[in-house]
Amino acid sequence: MAKDSIVIAGYSETAVEFKSGRSAYDFAGEAFADLLAATGIEKSVVDGLSINVPLSECSNAFYAVYMTEALGLSPSWLNYGGIGGCSATGGVARAAAAIRDGQCEVAVVLSADAPSTNWSANYGAWRGEFQDPVGVLGPPAAFGLLMSRYEHQYGLNYEALAKIAIAQREGALLNDNAFAKLKKPLTVEDYMNSRMIADPLRLLDCVMFCDGGNAFLVTTQEKAKEFGIEKTVRPTAYAEVTNFKGADPVADITETGFSVLAPKVFGQSGLGASDIASFHPYDDFTIAVMMQLEDFGFCPKGQGSDYVMATDLTYRGQLPVNTGGGQLSAGQPGLASGGLNLAEAVRQMFGEAGARQVAKTQNALVTGIGVIPYARNWGTSAAMILEA
Amino acid sequence: MSDPKNQRPVPKANRFVETEAFWQGTKAGELMLQYCPDTNQFQHYPRPISIYTGKRNLQWRKVAGTGVVYACTIVRVPGPGMEGRLPLSVVTVEMDEGVRILGNILNREPDTVAIGQRVELAWDAIDDETVYPAFNVVEG
Repeated sequence: MAKDSIVIAGYSETAVEFKSGRSAYDFAGEAFADLLAATGIEKSVVDGLSINVPLSECSNAFYAVYMTEALGLSPSWLNYGGIGGCSATGGVARAAAAIRDGQCEVAVVLSADAPSTNWSANYGAWRGEFQDPVGVLGPPAAFGLLMSRYEHQYGLNYEALAKIAIAQREGALLNDNAFAKLKKPLTVEDYMNSRMIADPLRLLDCVMFCDGGNAFLVTTQEKAKEFGIEKTVRPTAYAEVTNFKGADPVADITETGFSVLAPKVFGQSGLGASDIASFHPYDDFTIAVMMQLEDFGFCPKGQGSDYVMATDLTYRGQLPVNTGGGQLSAGQPGLASGGLNLAEAVRQMFGEAGARQVAKTQNALVTGIGVIPYARNWGTSAAMILEA
Repeated sequence: MSDPKNQRPVPKANRFVETEAFWQGTKAGELMLQYCPDTNQFQHYPRPISIYTGKRNLQWRKVAGTGVVYACTIVRVPGPGMEGRLPLSVVTVEMDEGVRILGNILNREPDTVAIGQRVELAWDAIDDETVYPAFNVVEG
């Protein structure tokens, strides 16, 4: 992309008010509507969005800048990941674009969170008026609703969900970084007997909010060589979508953004589902793993239960899935979550997974999921293919 | 109302966008939802613009309050405002006007609520002055 081909093709600005009684969403809505009117474009052509971090919605809008001070860095490119569990893979993709554009050469994609120690988040927005009063306080209730609809449309074998939890737990037992309290073998009985959280969602379908961090070095092959680094993997495909089917008020909530990302990342890389050496799907809930197995074509839509029952998903198996335990069995390090799946993919491809090392390391498929919206499927989906 | 621990938080109106019509509607026993007259479609929750056109040409219109259970769960874990309400039937209702809304089912044991059941509007008292839209399963 030649730099001189990019233009600013329109602008808008609201009147400045004091104690307006309005929210950032409302001012943004006004500026957005005015921009559409000023430029004459249809809303539907917009496929990119950049957003600031507002003081009125966020408890620390300067976290990214403070981090540069904490680390003593003076980066020429700084990205603040606001897509939840997609922030790590999304961060790698954005870093790659910045490097290609000459904004930086050696980027660190850093994720860290400690919500089990300190909870400062307030999701705000519509939730106080339209979601909290109904008792949908967090992701489990939303996923209970999603699972109920999936079960209604396709049927759901709870033993298959148990098998996902058990297979991932096997990896966690061999993972030094997994949260110690979760490092106990699991049985189908343990799963079935775990308490209902939001029917049909059980405790062992869910992640546990923990603390942790992860970091990735993104640079050019030439630079890596210059540094004497021998192990590298190439992100050869990336695709992301937020608010999938966002303007369809009666969309099928069992359809995820991955249904459109899968053909994109397979097209970019030239690989297909049967070529994937290991799969590291974002796993906030077991059903999310199952739905992604379907969306990426490891099995047809709605046949996730049968596929899981017939497939060894452990590090020894036909399709190794979240071989370090994933978030389900290693613990979810807050919104550093997506980096956990990405770190395991890179570790496996570097051949550094020790007792849980997979045999095939030529590639890996990694995904992210971010945010649980109102009465729909999840917010952001992101998928990345790494190749040796 | 004597035990403050058992009081549900009363939603603060207009925190997000202008929602006065919704709250006035609750006082009149009417469920008012945001409506885009350019495309003749409802949208919920309310937004700062029409999600269909990107314009701020929005109205509030009354819906019949009838629909079908699209998804359902039973919340069993405690949280703020959940005291004394567990297990709680939570549903996504697809309203007959073609818009979905989250709600609670008031007239049935949670484990008898199922996808596909017809529901109608009901009102759940949050405190002495505030009611909130909920649903009853239509019997028979």
